[in-house]
Amino acid sequence: MSFPVYPIWISDLAGSALMILFSFLCVRLAGKLRDQDRTNVVWLYLLSVCYVLAAFAVSRSVGHIVKRILITLDYENAWTLVRPYSGAINTVTFIFVASVTLFFGRVWKIYQQILQDKQAIQETHQQLIFMNRNLENLVAERTRELALSERKYRRIFEVSRDMLAVVRDDGTLMTLNPSGIEMLGLSSDDISSGRRLFQDFFETTDDWNFLKQTLEQMGYVADTEISMKRADNSCFSGLISGGVQDQPGENPGSHHFLVKDISYRKAMEQQILQADKLASIGQLAAGIAHEINNPLGIILGYTQLLIRSEKENSQNSEDLRIIEKHTRSCKTIVENLLSFSRRSQTKKAVSRINDVMDEVISVVRHHFELEKIGIEKEFDPRIPVIAVDEAKMKQVFMNLIMNARQAMKCGTVRIETRYDEPGHKAVVRVRDEGTGIEPRHMTRIFDPFFTTKPTGEGTGLGLSVSYGIVKDHGGEILVESEVGKGATFTVTLPVLEQTISVPAEDGAQRKSQSGS
Amino acid sequence: MKERAIPIMKHFWRRAPGPLAVPIISLGYLLGFAQAAMATQGHGSPEGLYAHQIAHILFAFSLGVLIYWLREHSLIENSGWRFVQYGAFFLLLWNLDAVLAHHLDDRSDLFQLIDGGSWNARVHFVDNSTKVVLLYYFAKLDHLFCVPGIVFLYAGLRRLLQQVQQSS
Ligand SMILES: Nc1ncnc2c1ncn2[C@@H]1O[C@H](COP(=O)(O)OP(=O)(O)O)[C@@H](O)[C@H]1O
Ligand SMILES: [Mg+2]
Repeated sequence: MSFPVYPIWISDLAGSALMILFSFLCVRLAGKLRDQDRTNVVWLYLLSVCYVLAAFAVSRSVGHIVKRILITLDYENAWTLVRPYSGAINTVTFIFVASVTLFFGRVWKIYQQILQDKQAIQETHQQLIFMNRNLENLVAERTRELALSERKYRRIFEVSRDMLAVVRDDGTLMTLNPSGIEMLGLSSDDISSGRRLFQDFFETTDDWNFLKQTLEQMGYVADTEISMKRADNSCFSGLISGGVQDQPGENPGSHHFLVKDISYRKAMEQQILQADKLASIGQLAAGIAHEINNPLGIILGYTQLLIRSEKENSQNSEDLRIIEKHTRSCKTIVENLLSFSRRSQTKKAVSRINDVMDEVISVVRHHFELEKIGIEKEFDPRIPVIAVDEAKMKQVFMNLIMNARQAMKCGTVRIETRYDEPGHKAVVRVRDEGTGIEPRHMTRIFDPFFTTKPTGEGTGLGLSVSYGIVKDHGGEILVESEVGKGATFTVTLPVLEQTISVPAEDGAQRKSQSGS
Repeated sequence: MKERAIPIMKHFWRRAPGPLAVPIISLGYLLGFAQAAMATQGHGSPEGLYAHQIAHILFAFSLGVLIYWLREHSLIENSGWRFVQYGAFFLLLWNLDAVLAHHLDDRSDLFQLIDGGSWNARVHFVDNSTKVVLLYYFAKLDHLFCVPGIVFLYAGLRRLLQQVQQSS
């Protein structure tokens, strides 16, 4: 029994060729796969399997084909020579393919591990991003809060009525709030230039030295009264407190100060002091005046009796008249003193301040015209009625107008009335263009017997008496003055709450009964 | 086959003095084998055949392992890997087939080759062991296994590539 061999040969040749062809195609595909993802170990594995398969296919198929050709061409001997090589190479490629193939399990595990790691890394990355974003939000929120608080404190800094200043150790002004800038009469450019020294705004360097010393020793100063100087050299009183800046991150060795302008309070204190002084002087003067008033009356009475018994124009009668005149002026002084000390009764009646003023002006007008001094008036018709002792009020205005005239050689006196509606006050201003009042006299002009005028011309009682009268009416008398430019006296009087009405008449036409 | 191969392996490893000696000895062995092949052509040395057979078995084993892992990791749910599995399976069959064919090669007691060099060559069977002979004849047509094997591998790779290209 026998079989033909050629089917085996044909299958050998064709199969070998197909093996080579497909193994190469496999290599190409695996190469493409690998190119898709060069880090993927599974594709790498497949590629290497394909490579060794291709090597194996070549070695095996070439062996078969060569064998077939050699045997067909009757070169059996040549084949016998080649055969062991072909067989050995075949064996080796088998082992090769086998060992590479064997690794699939391991490779797959590694691949899975890599995938897991990748996943883990991605998750961590995601988490990081999340945290990062959260952190951003957190930071943004904190920043917003900070900005808000910054704005809040900045507002306090900016709207504070007191001066807030940050000053370096050497005195350089680093920061100054708007109130401070205004208080010192500076501009904001002065501060930003950074060349202004805080100590330059102290009236005496002693104050600054004292401050620095206290700061060094105690670390703070509390409510110390100092006298400060503006950029234009005018002075004001201040209450300073401050401390050493010791916040970390801030400029070391710098101080912060808070200065309160207490000029107004000082002025008030001064006024109270003045009032007290006047009151005590008034008490004293009133006592004396009262004692003197009676003997003066007696002297005057007897003098007048003697004049009557003397012949007219005789020497004696002339002498007696001199005595009478001087006794009278003594009496006026004493009466003034009495009215200043408020001993004399005030008889208040409802009246219009503009009318009172008009009457005073009509008295002095002639006098002013002679001296070539003008009078200007500007009345506010809205002023309601006031309860005043007209005679005494006239005395006050007369005093002020006469003082104004005496201070001037030429020029105009301006008289102005105004209604301060929210304050329920009538305001009377007498302004002149005279010599003005020297600052050192300012505190003394309301003192009794203070005068800068030569004897005979001034008694120094006009303003002090006026002061007493105005105070008696619940009002105020104030003075502003600039040397060489003139002075302004302001009298404010409380108006009546619209209960009593006076027939509305044109003030200028109205005749006053109590005027003369 | 196995029981014959294993004593040889044992013998080989017993001779090996240390791990370093293995590559040196195998190199010398290879050269010696080549020389021997040259000298004694026609008498196929049994060592060469055994090595070849062991290699086939090893290849078959590794393909089996590959199939095992493909199934174990449920990769065969993917059509690409399933084709790779089929390929591995056919190659495995081919290996077993080759082992059988090599085992039966040169058994002159069973059959003879007549007119070996020509296209008219025939296999003549000595006695009535027809079943074995038919098996041998069929085993000699080993390309019926290995060509489908590599074609399946090719198909599997193509699928895999398509999938990867689609997903990216
Ligand atoms: N309008 C004024 N201009 C300048 N100085 C004035 C003015 N009014 C008052 N004074 C100053 O105040 C002082 C006191 O004034 P006063 O009490 O009226 O007394 P007298 O006028 O008798 O001197 C005056 O001597 C003068 O120095
Ligand atoms: Mg006067």
